[in-house]
Amino acid sequence: MAQLFYDHLIVIEEVTAVLDEHKLTANERAEFLHLIDQTLHHEILDTIFTHLPKDKHEVFLTKFHLAPHDVKLLEFLQEAISIDIEKEILKTANKVKRRAMSSIQKAGNAKK
Amino acid sequence: MPTTLHTAKLRTALKHQADRSSRKLRKNHPHAVSFLEKRGITPTTLRQHAAAVAATGALASAMLLTPPLVQQVRSATSAIAQLTTEQLQQRLTTELTNVLPKEMALLTPEQEQQISNVIDRLWGIRAVAELDSERLNRSYGLIGAEQHLPRFPGDTVDQHDEPQGEGITPGLGAWGYFAPSKQSLTQDLIDKEKWYVAVQTLYLPDWNTRFRYLRDWYKYRKVLVVNPASGKTVVADVADAGPANWTGKHYGGSPEVMAYLGLNVGMQKGPVMLFFVDDPDNEVPLGPVEYNFKIK
Repeated sequence: MAQLFYDHLIVIEEVTAVLDEHKLTANERAEFLHLIDQTLHHEILDTIFTHLPKDKHEVFLTKFHLAPHDVKLLEFLQEAISIDIEKEILKTANKVKRRAMSSIQKAGNAKK
Repeated sequence: MPTTLHTAKLRTALKHQADRSSRKLRKNHPHAVSFLEKRGITPTTLRQHAAAVAATGALASAMLLTPPLVQQVRSATSAIAQLTTEQLQQRLTTELTNVLPKEMALLTPEQEQQISNVIDRLWGIRAVAELDSERLNRSYGLIGAEQHLPRFPGDTVDQHDEPQGEGITPGLGAWGYFAPSKQSLTQDLIDKEKWYVAVQTLYLPDWNTRFRYLRDWYKYRKVLVVNPASGKTVVADVADAGPANWTGKHYGGSPEVMAYLGLNVGMQKGPVMLFFVDDPDNEVPLGPVEYNFKIK
């Protein structure tokens, strides 16, 4: 089950596939995925609050805090925001993933 | 075939991305970050919170069975306001017993989050194992007694407050003198030496590759140190590096820190939790914590 209402938009497997092309310990793999996950949360929340009208922030935060996985949160955002927020979240997630994958690629090419 | 990765380089890049995005969110939407933090959640621990909510099925109960959030917060706050320091320490000890492993071990992110929540509720201080994407190798370990540190050239132990029995180190702390001269020593710097801890920055996996950044990030970094056996809690700052792994200890505490925690007796060491204090506006003072900071 997804833990966060936007998890289905992220598709982190694209990143894990690139990461798994390299020799990593389980701890290193978990650490790197945790850092990427953090960046995704920061960036996606930034995108949401940038587009969500200010007067709806507290309502959203309260709902989100109580039920972070509730898919109705996306419906709430879609109703409150005039642009396609699902598309914006997707764009943000893709940007973060691209940056992370580029870092993995560079670290793969770098000499130790 | 799997290829080798330059892990230090990747760690630096990913931490940089996480840190930059964290600062952007905090700058653009401080009210949202503050809202979540007041409830013991940071974007860093968001997934842990979500997992906990999902696991306990808290959605239904939170929405249908419990009073509104504001009411819950108010009633919990007023109950804590009536507790004495000793009662708060006792409650902290009891609650930590349910979270901490029986033997000294690394804490899981879930345990760290639970501890952060307990500290936030009882002391009103936001203390986290990971801050700005930085974390020590452990958040629960053994602390041992350290000596006073020289605060300025020519400083001697008899110029420090009691206890003076531990003496003063012959060398400087990892960040050098606190002040260039006795005349320039401020009360703030006196407190920084008085309530200092040493942490094992030298064993951080990225200490060498991100040295300049980490050196500045850790200098006088505020931490909360809790003796889980007594509930005694002190806000300290990082002013030295160490101890070495061979000592079997993980942190060092100034004579004042150890005395307050009640660990300046016998082997002069004991288990503590050491978490970063998330205090961007520098509102939490150094020294013993004896009341709920938010209630005062």
